[in-house]
Amino acid sequence: MANLKDIQRQIKSVSNTQKTTRAMKLVSTAKLRRAEELASRSRLYAQKMNQVIAEIAGRIECAKVGGIDNRCFKKIENPKMVDIVFVTADKGLCGGFNIQTIKAVKKLLKEYKEQNVKVRLRGIGKKGVEFFKYNEVELFDAVIDLSSKPDKARSDEFIRPSILDFKDGKIDALHIVYNGYKNMLTQELHVNKILPIDTTTFECPKETNRSMLEIEAQDEENMLDSLVNKYVDYNLYYALIDSVAAEHSARMQAMDTATNNAKDMVKSLNVQFNKARQAAITTELIEIISGVESMK
Amino acid sequence: METFTLEILTPNGEIYNGSALSVVLPGEEGEFGVLAHHSSLTTLLTSGVVDVEKEDKSVESIVINWGVVQVDEEKVIILVEGAAPIRGANESEIAKALEAAKILINEVADSNFAIVAVSAKIESAAQKLI
Repeated sequence: MANLKDIQRQIKSVSNTQKTTRAMKLVSTAKLRRAEELASRSRLYAQKMNQVIAEIAGRIECAKVGGIDNRCFKKIENPKMVDIVFVTADKGLCGGFNIQTIKAVKKLLKEYKEQNVKVRLRGIGKKGVEFFKYNEVELFDAVIDLSSKPDKARSDEFIRPSILDFKDGKIDALHIVYNGYKNMLTQELHVNKILPIDTTTFECPKETNRSMLEIEAQDEENMLDSLVNKYVDYNLYYALIDSVAAEHSARMQAMDTATNNAKDMVKSLNVQFNKARQAAITTELIEIISGVESMK
Repeated sequence: METFTLEILTPNGEIYNGSALSVVLPGEEGEFGVLAHHSSLTTLLTSGVVDVEKEDKSVESIVINWGVVQVDEEKVIILVEGAAPIRGANESEIAKALEAAKILINEVADSNFAIVAVSAKIESAAQKLI
């Protein structure tokens, strides 16, 4: 039978842990509300931006315009080098949030390895960066405190080399992997191929004879160029803010589960404590009675 | 006059969604106006002022720093990076909006000429409101 003092100490420590996890849950709930609001305001813009790009890409594909020589809209056969940008949190204690992203990156790495494609990993977020460093996977580039405080200027700066390298032909694809917010309880893993822009999903309008892209020819290049830059910039920024919202929702859930587990543990420890106390009392009583008996 | 649906979206949310009689946009090549049934086009916008003529013929001015517009026959969608609408219930609110718009324009415009031209436009739009 465990010592009464030991059990008491254990109960105290578990209920202290419970207090901490409950506080962390409350903090996450408050932060989640703010992050979610930010993400939902930007969601519409991100969707429309992708729609506009997809439509332009589709129209280029449908019209088969020979004049547009932009690498971002071309299908690239046999890629040699690809960039994978992943976004994880800076902090742990949020359940499987970071691991899910890391697993997806590993899967992608494996797929490319089988095809003999070189991969440049560019990491955002301490947890993911540390994981790959620990496993001795080479990281091309890493930033630590961007994922907890998304900043448009810094995110643009981070993604700029990838865009330039893609345009120069140094890399042949760009992926962004992150865990996004779906609702309060679930996160959704996104593995998005940002470049080259997929031109195949768009359905050609019936009246293809009419040119829908009415832009002056010499501007076409410039326009597409700056549009693609904004598209990639914004996709990364949106990934960052979506990931923050998801991180807080994951942490809120993890801490809620932890609080509940601690509660259950305190309950069962209490039962154990009562049993032990009862046993001690019984033994004491028996000792007294047997002492009295022997005196007779 | 016929109306069309106009949506203006920024990364921080929607700032206009409704019908409009016409809209004047600061295109890269110069200003252009869009009415209902405009032919389809997609183009970039530079820093400048978007003038929206609403159904009641009142005009709302919105200062933008960069954007892309997609026009088709029923709908106009404008995606802008930063926007400062010039609106407000009283003079002090309008003055605040004016200040925000000027900051926005000073950040992006590369030539003094552009800043002055846009500032003048903003001022006159604000004058009309007061």
